[in-house]
Amino acid sequence: MDTLQSIAKIAASGMTAQTARLRVISENVANADSTGTTPGEDPFRRKTISFAEMIDDATGGSLVEVDKIGRDQSPFRRDYDPSHPAADETGYVKRPNVDPIIEMANMREASRNYEANMNMFEAGRRMRGQMLDLLK
Amino acid sequence: MNLSNLSILGLASDRMQWLSARQKVTSENVANASTPNYKARDISSFETMLKGELSRGDGLVTTHAKHISGAANSTPGVRTMEDPSAVASTLDGNSVNLEEQSIRAAEISDQYRMAAQLYRKGHDLLVMAVTGNR
Repeated sequence: MDTLQSIAKIAASGMTAQTARLRVISENVANADSTGTTPGEDPFRRKTISFAEMIDDATGGSLVEVDKIGRDQSPFRRDYDPSHPAADETGYVKRPNVDPIIEMANMREASRNYEANMNMFEAGRRMRGQMLDLLK
Repeated sequence: MNLSNLSILGLASDRMQWLSARQKVTSENVANASTPNYKARDISSFETMLKGELSRGDGLVTTHAKHISGAANSTPGVRTMEDPSAVASTLDGNSVNLEEQSIRAAEISDQYRMAAQLYRKGHDLLVMAVTGNR
């Protein structure tokens, strides 16, 4: 596999990783109001994702892969709402530790990174096209 | 640098090889723009490649006798190293600047086009010399 071809593989790994990140973000946003159903039960705990570098044996390029999807251990927000089914004996309900602002900022970054990888793919493809044009 | 023993075709093709190796490293940087503790990389200069200071086995710097060079897939005469100009670092220890890498990728693309056109010109000159017309 030549150098220019391996660019496509590297960019694809970047796009896959950013897609996984976007998936985790959308899970967090979708569950931003998922509380428990029984008194005192824990609500949805925010998911986190981290990446790691991975050397590709076939091309020698450094790809990126999803390292692990974990859970945010920060404390839950507590609201006073005695009529809620998940309210404990003091009347407080635990709310998910999801902050929409953080999720939005994260989402922007993921889509910017995705675009950058797409541009690298395009650049590699254009260079390969110019090289092949020499055969004409 | 002794240019007299390099034909225009050889020079242009070396340049294209070097530019593809650099574009590959740039795309690795972009792919790893969110990887914790990843440091931005760059490759040795084109001048080093022309001088032939590095041979095929020199793709990675070896600092211990038991290190393997792992250069089976690397471009000969090119060494990948940490980018000395990448100083910006975020809290997760990543030093990739996405804007900088995008600009670099665009520059490499343009330079590649120039090298490809030069190669074509060199070829046209040969054709002209052989046939007497174009």
